[in-house]
Amino acid sequence: MDRNQISKWLKNPGKMANKYSFHVVYFCTGCGVIEIPPSITTRWDAERFGIIPVASPRQANLFLIAGYVSTKTLKAIIRTYEQMPEPKYTIAFGSCPINGGMYYDSYNTITSLDKYIPIDGYIAGCMPRPEAVFVGVTHLWKLIDMDKADGYKRYREDYKHYRANQEQLFGDMDWPPLFSKENIK
Amino acid sequence: MNIIALFISPLIAIIIGMFFLGLSRKISARIHWRYGPPIYQPVIDVIRSFSQMSISHGRFFDFGIIFSLVGSLVLILFLPIGKLYVLTSGGLIAFLYLMLLSPFGIALSGGASANPNSSIGISRKFLLSLAYEVPLLLVLIAVMTHYNTISLVDIVKIQASSGWAFGSWALVLPGIAYFLILPAILGVRPFEVVKAPQEISSGPIAEFGGKHLAFYTLQNALHMFVGLGLFVDIFLGGWTLFGLLDPISGTVWGIILGIIIFLIKMLIVLIIGLFINAVYPRFRIEQAMKYLWKWPTLIAFIGLIIVMLIN
Repeated sequence: MDRNQISKWLKNPGKMANKYSFHVVYFCTGCGVIEIPPSITTRWDAERFGIIPVASPRQANLFLIAGYVSTKTLKAIIRTYEQMPEPKYTIAFGSCPINGGMYYDSYNTITSLDKYIPIDGYIAGCMPRPEAVFVGVTHLWKLIDMDKADGYKRYREDYKHYRANQEQLFGDMDWPPLFSKENIK
Repeated sequence: MNIIALFISPLIAIIIGMFFLGLSRKISARIHWRYGPPIYQPVIDVIRSFSQMSISHGRFFDFGIIFSLVGSLVLILFLPIGKLYVLTSGGLIAFLYLMLLSPFGIALSGGASANPNSSIGISRKFLLSLAYEVPLLLVLIAVMTHYNTISLVDIVKIQASSGWAFGSWALVLPGIAYFLILPAILGVRPFEVVKAPQEISSGPIAEFGGKHLAFYTLQNALHMFVGLGLFVDIFLGGWTLFGLLDPISGTVWGIILGIIIFLIKMLIVLIIGLFINAVYPRFRIEQAMKYLWKWPTLIAFIGLIIVMLIN
């Protein structure tokens, strides 16, 4: 542990613990997931940064969307994101969630994921190498330090807007809103 | 003395249990040729879990996990940690009953979450308990018959005068049988059927997040401490080390050194267990039951017969 971080630990243990213990739920329908097994196993060993994969979104605090998002998988992404407990962070991986990537003109592609759930950071590239995941995570550490990784707060504040975007895409959604009427501004 | 032990022994159990969890992650990482997380990583994880919001699925969901944690804490009071013990009555019989409390609490909690993966995990947990309780009971009956007492404290005291149980040849076979079922009691690979993250998305704790997950991690640490501590107390002589502590027995330093020797013995058992844990894949549930009811049961049964013939 860095010795000059002890004062930060004493000041806000919850924030620092969130920083150094990312339990990740991977969204594995895109091709980006091919970079995940090397990054969590022996070659690149993400566990030395405290990053381990978990099986259930309830136990996670980082959501890594690995690649291409179609209209059908977006539903699953939204439900998974809403099941995670706060504070939670999202990283979109590869160029497809940013602007559609090489499938930008397909009828079925979500070209900007940021309209439907808040994203804290993007890792650009097609495909980014496993090193890029670690660079992304260290950038996320800096954002958490500066309190700028506030995606879950934005989701709470602008929930009406996000829900409207989701409903515009899906029509009738078969699950109730995450936040009740009083929370929606 | 008793009052101090009442507060100190759960504290030691939680701290050492968390340390063992971190150490086991580090050692398995080194066996896999990885660098591994820092040793205090489970503490960071618990702080993070406490800082997160948790979603409750009803009253039994909250009650079950607390019940399981309390069950493990009560179990600590029956376990002599070195020369530190709180409850001397009851002994191994009470220990056997109380060992079922923590699986029961987790089952109650997982059942209330109404997740299909949790239901599969709970049924596996009870099947696995059923599988390892048979050889465990045979082992404990052999030990109780040999020493003619049910008290854990007395068993440790007899070993202090007559040598470790593992060294006296009558109890070697029950000792081996207990070591074979130890991974099943701790719920680690090759008996990781209950959690099985790749298969049933971490089983009974699939719906645990935030504070519930933190309590589960603490319970897991305590459970690990109890499983290893029982082995050390019964077979490796608790605090005794070849009469090394005889000159200073009764003093405060004797008690502290006794606890340290006890913990070092636990550490050695843990590291030997980790070599098995790190390289073997997971059994399926019926393979695990077939194994547990065949070899450890057979060895424990032969050990029991030998003990009865000697007595």
